[in-house]
Amino acid sequence: MMSLVQKLAAGPLLLVTLFLLVGCSSRAENSAESEQRGAILFAMNCSPCHEAINSQLKVQPPSLRRLFASKSLPSGAPATDEQVRRTIIEGKGIMPAFDQHLTRDDINSIVKYLHTLS
Amino acid sequence: MNIDRLATLALVCTLILTGCQHKDKRYVLRGQVLEKNPASSEITVKHEAIPGFMAAMTMPYEVKDAEALHEVQPGDLIEADVVTTNNQQEYWLENVRITDSRGRVVARPGIVHHLDIGERVPEFPLTNQDGKTFHLADFRGKAVLVSFIYTRCPMPNFCPRLSSQFAKVREDLSKIPEDYAKIQLLSISFDPKYDTSAVLRKYGLAYLDNDPAGFSHWEFAFTDPGDLRRLADAFGLEYFDQGDSISHTMVIVLIAPDGTIARYWGTRWTTQELEDALRQQAQAVVSTSSGAKGTAAK
Repeated sequence: MMSLVQKLAAGPLLLVTLFLLVGCSSRAENSAESEQRGAILFAMNCSPCHEAINSQLKVQPPSLRRLFASKSLPSGAPATDEQVRRTIIEGKGIMPAFDQHLTRDDINSIVKYLHTLS
Repeated sequence: MNIDRLATLALVCTLILTGCQHKDKRYVLRGQVLEKNPASSEITVKHEAIPGFMAAMTMPYEVKDAEALHEVQPGDLIEADVVTTNNQQEYWLENVRITDSRGRVVARPGIVHHLDIGERVPEFPLTNQDGKTFHLADFRGKAVLVSFIYTRCPMPNFCPRLSSQFAKVREDLSKIPEDYAKIQLLSISFDPKYDTSAVLRKYGLAYLDNDPAGFSHWEFAFTDPGDLRRLADAFGLEYFDQGDSISHTMVIVLIAPDGTIARYWGTRWTTQELEDALRQQAQAVVSTSSGAKGTAAK
């Protein structure tokens, strides 16, 4: 039998657990949403160059699939989220800067999506 | 009344009624142009109420007159005739007039008409990737190939393609010293707010394999927004700022060594065509081209 103290303690514990579960589920949903948004932004902003062969460009932009599978990016810089974010913001070589096209959230969503792109 | 007269009367009535049904109606629109979409020949206008036709609102209208569409720019205050069919299923703008804030019709100041082949190019001060000011006249004696770009352009078939192919033209012609001495490439930005000399220098170096010596034959420049608009008008270029990007058409202009327009290209051209035309102009230069000088550091 549960004592009164145990019963009183069980209520808040249940509540906290529920909050945690709801929080986790919401975070998971947000993460999935962000990834989905990243996929759309990737298709709109990155695919036209990185997913197509364009012989009219001075340099063929590298594929971004499995970008984080190796330790370094095609440019030789370390394959970190921060480095990829910086490349999107500032541009690299003939790749234009996207600082005026994309918000920080947009860029984070793209980076998140790039982690899943195989 | 005999049958013939009745039939004639019926025909006349039918024609009158039919004519009435298809008669266009015209209303006066006053408002401000917010956007222009040359591809669909439409302008988006924030307009006052149009009595008998529409409440005050912002909406796109087709402008059938290509010349009027070319002239009107986002930001312009306009007055125009809205023409509708009787059932108001179709509507478009005619007689687009640019006005001042009091509704008086004004001519765009300093507008230059689209230059024909053989006409002299206008002179506006340009600032290059090293911060130096120069004019197109500084290239007299050289064949000059001009394109318009902006460094943030994310469309691979527009600015990146143009600059990539200009890079190839420069590289190919650099292998023919006698022609190379008489040619000049110039990329002018239509984003002077963002494309400063430093930004253009970084952009140019990416297309010059990081060798600044290449700037001697390919300069990257910007000019102030007013002169840019006049230069673009002169070359028949359409562009408008959409905040995070710039919508634009593509124009490549070949300027002959005497400073006149030799040829235009739109979106259809090959690198070989550009090189051949440039070399042809360069070879027409009389043996000494001492008057020609670039502005970049040699």
